[in-house]
Amino acid sequence: MSQQDLSGLIVHTALGNRAAFSTLYESTSAKLFGVCLRILKDRAQAEDAVQEVYVRIWRRAGSFRADKASAMAWLVTIARNQAIDMIRARQPATLEYDQAPDMADPDLDPEARAALAGEGRRIEACLGELEADKAAAVVNAYVEGLSYQELAAQNAVPLNTMRTWLRRSLIKLRECLNR
Amino acid sequence: MSIGAPHSDDNALAGEYVLGVLPLDERRAAEQRIASEPAFAELVSSWQSELATLDDAYASEAPPRGVKARIDARLFAEAAKPAGLWGSLVFWRGLALASVAVVAAIGAYNLDLVGGSTPGSAPALVAELGAPGSAVGLVAALDPTSGALQITPAAFSPDDGKALELWLVPGEGAPISLGLVPEDGGRLVLDRSLRDQLSAGALIAVSLEPAGGSPTGVATGPVVLSGTLASK
Repeated sequence: MSQQDLSGLIVHTALGNRAAFSTLYESTSAKLFGVCLRILKDRAQAEDAVQEVYVRIWRRAGSFRADKASAMAWLVTIARNQAIDMIRARQPATLEYDQAPDMADPDLDPEARAALAGEGRRIEACLGELEADKAAAVVNAYVEGLSYQELAAQNAVPLNTMRTWLRRSLIKLRECLNR
Repeated sequence: MSIGAPHSDDNALAGEYVLGVLPLDERRAAEQRIASEPAFAELVSSWQSELATLDDAYASEAPPRGVKARIDARLFAEAAKPAGLWGSLVFWRGLALASVAVVAAIGAYNLDLVGGSTPGSAPALVAELGAPGSAVGLVAALDPTSGALQITPAAFSPDDGKALELWLVPGEGAPISLGLVPEDGGRLVLDRSLRDQLSAGALIAVSLEPAGGSPTGVATGPVVLSGTLASK
């Protein structure tokens, strides 16, 4: 189903059309369940999440703006937010930084840069300008919904270092995207 | 050493929010800023559209069959557990709030509808029956002289083989069937005992039932419309 068709279904859902809502569910629930499953890594929780996601879609369909986001991107954002809210609610509400000093930020790795670049899409090209582990942290955080604690553990660095790295990566990414 | 929460760079914060890495407190704080600061909301929206490319990484997997039914139950008040939902006054008040706001708007129309009412007689009672987020479905007007409910279909018709059943939802206790909504609207003459229970503020609901009405005497199908009676 095209993005335009999905947009139309969202608009009709906003008008209270239950048939359009059902068609939207049939067309998109596999993707959104996939999102919830990937982030929550638990089928029962993903089922709860995807229910909540479609309740939100029904209630918020009126806020969809086709000129601002593709229909599927808008739907995935709702699913990611729901799944991430659910896992964050089970984790500490604030970050507890340890006493370790920030670790030095290694220089760019040209090979990793070359490996990630080359795709036509901007975000991938710009991720390619980051070191491989920094780019992987950004991608894993987004796709898997990892917390700072989890990222720090994966990269075997202190929490504050992880945050400094990721924020620096985001600023570099933004500079690249804006070029 | 604590570096605290480095909020100096909104661009990085917006990116952190979209990635989802923030702990809950900071996540909520970012959401408040999205709601109140258009410039920050714009940064978030920009990150969302850039990072959406990564959505390709999510493999599709069909959710279990029961999920859609549970969504519909939550949104459309399908009475999977009649005693639970039907018995919940809070639930009904929520539904009523959604439709009560529009009742006032149809006063003029309504006087025509119940043209039989004369000065000095009891006021007509009218309920505009709708569903959250949808246009009005039915108007039910009680003619105090004849004791009949005049049903006017506006934008709702049941699927083939189904019937719409009208219910009075009391403040306490089980809903009371007022009968089936006549096809193409029309009059529904009520027993005196039922008529006496209808007063301004009473909550009326319509459920989708098998042809012939609910076989059990309690609503079995989804509640599709509701509204409160108001004096006209």
